[in-house]
Amino acid sequence: MKKREFHKFMLAAGAMGLVEIPLGITKAYGQTKGGTLNAIIQPEPPILNLAISQLTPTQTVSGKIFLSLLTYDVNLKPMPSLAKSWTISPDGKTYTFKLETNVKWHDGKPLTSDDVLYTVKEFLPITHPRAKAIFGRCESITAPDAHTVVFKLAEPFSPFIGAFDISNLPVMPKHVYAGTDVTKNPANLNPIGSGPFKLKEWVRGSHIHLVRNDNYFKPNLPYLDAIIYRVVPDGASRALALENGTVQLTQWTDLELFDAQKLSKKSNLAVTTKGYEYFAPIMWLEINNRNAPFSDKRFRQACLHAIDRNFIKDKILYGFGKVATGPINSKTKFYEPNVRKYEFSIAKANALLDEMGLKKDAKGVRATARLPVPPYGEMVQRSCEYIRQSLAKIGVTVVLESTDPGSYTQRISNWDYEMNLSWLYQFGDPALGVTRNYVTSNIRKILFTNTVGYSNPEVDRLAEAAAVVVDETKRGVLYSQMQKVLVEDVPICWLVEMEFPTLHDKRIQNLVTTAIGIHESFDTVYFKA
Amino acid sequence: MKAIAKAFLRHPSGMLGLVILLAVIVLAASAPLLFPGDPWDTVAAPFTPPDTDGMLLGSDSLGRDIAAGIAHGTRVSLMIGVTSTLVALIIGVVVGALSGYVGGRVGEWLMRFTELFQTIPGFMLCILLVAILSPSIRTVVIAIALVSWPQVARLTRGEFLALKEREFVQAARCQGESPLSLIVRYILPNALSPIIVAGSLSVASAILIESALSFMGLGDPNLMSWGFMIGAARTMLRQAWWMSFFPGIAILLTVLAINLVGEGLNDVLNPRISRK
Amino acid sequence: MGWLKGLAALGARLAKMVAVVLLIAVFNFMLVHSAPGDPALVIAGQSGATDEQFLQRVRADYGLDKPLPTQLATYLGKVVQFDLGYSHRQQRTVSSAILERLPATLLLTLSAFTISLVGGVVLGSLAGVRAGKASDTLISLLALVIYATPVFWMGLMLVLLFSVQLGWLPAFGYQTIGVTMSGWDAVVDKLKHLALPAFTLGMLYLAIYARLMRASVIEVSHQDYVKTARAKGASESRILWRHMLRNALLPVVTMAGVQAGTLIGGSVVIETVFAWPGLGRLTYDAVLQRDYQVMLGIFLVLSILVIAFNWLTDILYRVIDPRIKAA
Repeated sequence: MKKREFHKFMLAAGAMGLVEIPLGITKAYGQTKGGTLNAIIQPEPPILNLAISQLTPTQTVSGKIFLSLLTYDVNLKPMPSLAKSWTISPDGKTYTFKLETNVKWHDGKPLTSDDVLYTVKEFLPITHPRAKAIFGRCESITAPDAHTVVFKLAEPFSPFIGAFDISNLPVMPKHVYAGTDVTKNPANLNPIGSGPFKLKEWVRGSHIHLVRNDNYFKPNLPYLDAIIYRVVPDGASRALALENGTVQLTQWTDLELFDAQKLSKKSNLAVTTKGYEYFAPIMWLEINNRNAPFSDKRFRQACLHAIDRNFIKDKILYGFGKVATGPINSKTKFYEPNVRKYEFSIAKANALLDEMGLKKDAKGVRATARLPVPPYGEMVQRSCEYIRQSLAKIGVTVVLESTDPGSYTQRISNWDYEMNLSWLYQFGDPALGVTRNYVTSNIRKILFTNTVGYSNPEVDRLAEAAAVVVDETKRGVLYSQMQKVLVEDVPICWLVEMEFPTLHDKRIQNLVTTAIGIHESFDTVYFKA
Repeated sequence: MKAIAKAFLRHPSGMLGLVILLAVIVLAASAPLLFPGDPWDTVAAPFTPPDTDGMLLGSDSLGRDIAAGIAHGTRVSLMIGVTSTLVALIIGVVVGALSGYVGGRVGEWLMRFTELFQTIPGFMLCILLVAILSPSIRTVVIAIALVSWPQVARLTRGEFLALKEREFVQAARCQGESPLSLIVRYILPNALSPIIVAGSLSVASAILIESALSFMGLGDPNLMSWGFMIGAARTMLRQAWWMSFFPGIAILLTVLAINLVGEGLNDVLNPRISRK
Repeated sequence: MGWLKGLAALGARLAKMVAVVLLIAVFNFMLVHSAPGDPALVIAGQSGATDEQFLQRVRADYGLDKPLPTQLATYLGKVVQFDLGYSHRQQRTVSSAILERLPATLLLTLSAFTISLVGGVVLGSLAGVRAGKASDTLISLLALVIYATPVFWMGLMLVLLFSVQLGWLPAFGYQTIGVTMSGWDAVVDKLKHLALPAFTLGMLYLAIYARLMRASVIEVSHQDYVKTARAKGASESRILWRHMLRNALLPVVTMAGVQAGTLIGGSVVIETVFAWPGLGRLTYDAVLQRDYQVMLGIFLVLSILVIAFNWLTDILYRVIDPRIKAA
């Protein structure tokens, strides 16, 4: 039998579950070197340059091609990446990073502090609003030598050390981008990074093929020969691909949750919900705080009592989640569990509304709210339907309005809604991803800000103070207080902490080792023979 | 009229269609009695198979009663079907009548305009309209009407072109009847038969278009319609076949019934073009 | 002089097509831009965070700040040069996105068209010739039921039967992923994937053509020349059959031309149900994303396709029509 025919036979046999698909692996150094990892990527990223697009699929793939200064373990403690060590001055204003000295770009040129400077000072401000905002807090960013970078803040900002991950500071090659229009640079189609994998080929609509970077700065790494990200537009086909072994890895929302639940029981697959701690979104129901009766906190408290969050977690999220208790996810820093609880109780909800004096009209309706629904999939649709039914029981009529991403964005940005189902990433630290939704200074007509219009001077004070205090314990105290106040005021109805299932072939090791999980570089991932 | 009714009663397939249609209408009317409450409410465990736990046709992914959904969905389908057809008829008859009566260049250009509408892939136009104007019952009706009127217009024009040369019309014109009077009192009543038939068949196609739009998520999200139910069931085809099967049967029976009635009417009203 | 006339006719047709296309382009443009909403926010919002300067850049990039007539004029000018714009979401030109998906849609619609026409003609003739008999009743009934069936539901039911239950055919997609095939295997694989979508899409029109063909055959069989020929001698029946068929086919072919628009429109739903990577699928995604450039481009291309199909049926008509002497 010829080699190609044998290969085809083995693939077919493997697809029929008759034989384990051989992955071309060889044993060496105790770890198994070699092999090609096939994974799903959904939806297909528009571009592979992380500095230009921070969409999730771009992060997933580009995290193998580019590197940043740091990464974070599952407890959100910083870990070295391009920076081998760092110091923070006692006054919390000066951050000094020492870079690895032997890093080379994929085109062979050495990576130096000049590249970091260029990225932060010239590249990112053009393309990356969040990075621009964070690094804009620096009064100076300098490079005393080729392998040292110094960030000097205008005033202390404790979460600053959390801003050096791959999605916020992907280091770009200065010699390729300087002096060009970065958005139109041809290197965006053939990315030149410093990561353990480089792009071999990208067939749009089909797959993205990454191969080992033999000049990776860590010796003997990466173990894998290649990673192929396959584009499969249909949910059922993705589940099928994982089931029959065509791919060995899915993440985020690649699989419909009930498929994930079903497949997690297969003997050759493992499932984990770890590796999303950096993002840790909470699915919540925003209620526009501006007009009566929504401006009364008792209305919002009633809504929280009326929605059975366990049902949402079990029947809509198929168990992939945890009921939320407040604005900060239990995986994010400074989470405070001791806050007022809102158990599922229609009676309590009705009592609050009655106390408010919100009477029912002839049809039993106390209030009407519009809830724009963007086309972000089944889970969102079902959740909105369930919320509508739940609130109907306390006399609140929710009118669902199908929208497209454009008008949805516009309406929310312009506060043209009464209710909105949403979730945002927390980025590991309340100062980075949480307080932006509750402080008066961030009431702006743009997404991901304090769109509900909540304004409480005490919360503003606590958030401000906690951002600049250096001592972690003191920060914790301030944030605990803030959470207690927020949970009493309920500016937003926090529903469920979302979890995402990463399903993979059991033989894959070291897949999820940090808080960004499958966005990592995968340099230590290997197949157990 | 009596003769027409009698003839229809003797038309086997037309009567079959009428019987089914009446059953559908009765279901629509009595839905709140048979299935009180909101079809959107969770009433059972999710994914209950048919004929279990009191769920005649099973339950969906959120434990909602499929049978209740189908019953309440009947009202939605019939309402949208009839409303959009009425709008299409109004537009189509006006354009067609004008084009046929006035004739000449104006008539030609009106026909060209109608043809333009027919060149555009109709369903695509619906999707675009509904998506742009944001899905609601109003926009769905408008979209379907805008796609359905050209056929009515062409038909009306053809009838008007033929009828306006007829003797009784010429006679009335000589007697000094105004054009509007001629159109409304003389020509239109005689052109009605094919228009009615086209209208009834239009209702059927309107129901099909609406279900397709809802299936793709472009329907009104507050209305439990059959298309929506099938769309929601799509990803769960393997686990819960009943979620998509029964709503589809409902559409099939209703559309079939309307088609049979329409064709029966056609046979009865236009006996010369009988196909038997 | 015949060919000159033919050329003139062709020229007139082309001119008409260009005029229609431009009109559709204007129509499309106005349609899409009557929408509420600021597209700049969509593009910016997806980057994870937003700020004013960023939005301004987006607006300038897309010319969204220019007045509508200017945008339209620019658009039309580009259309004539086959430049259909640039899609930010896909990071490439609209024409390249469309060209990539066009073959799949062509494959699907042409297959469905063929299945429906051939199947409809065969079944309709059978029913018409055996009018009143059991086979006629069966075919007519089947056609009636299929005509009333929502096409997307039929697709799902066929998937349930042939894919989930029997496992004979694949449920979704264009080809088996993860395995590179070549030669005959690749062809068979593609055919297997094409089977259900093409069949589903073609079924509805098959029903229409079957019923029409049946009626047409019955009508033609009552014609005088047929009766005369029959009276002359049954041995002529084969020639009669061919003659009858040609005449009976004409209304069906005409109808096929009229239905071209609905067929292509129907491919949108089918492509969604079967995850077929064609223009219909692209449309749906573009509509969800408010990707104006892509939407306009596809709309235009599909309208051109409809006109092309009309031409095809016109040619077919001329070939079949026995009254037109072979040139």
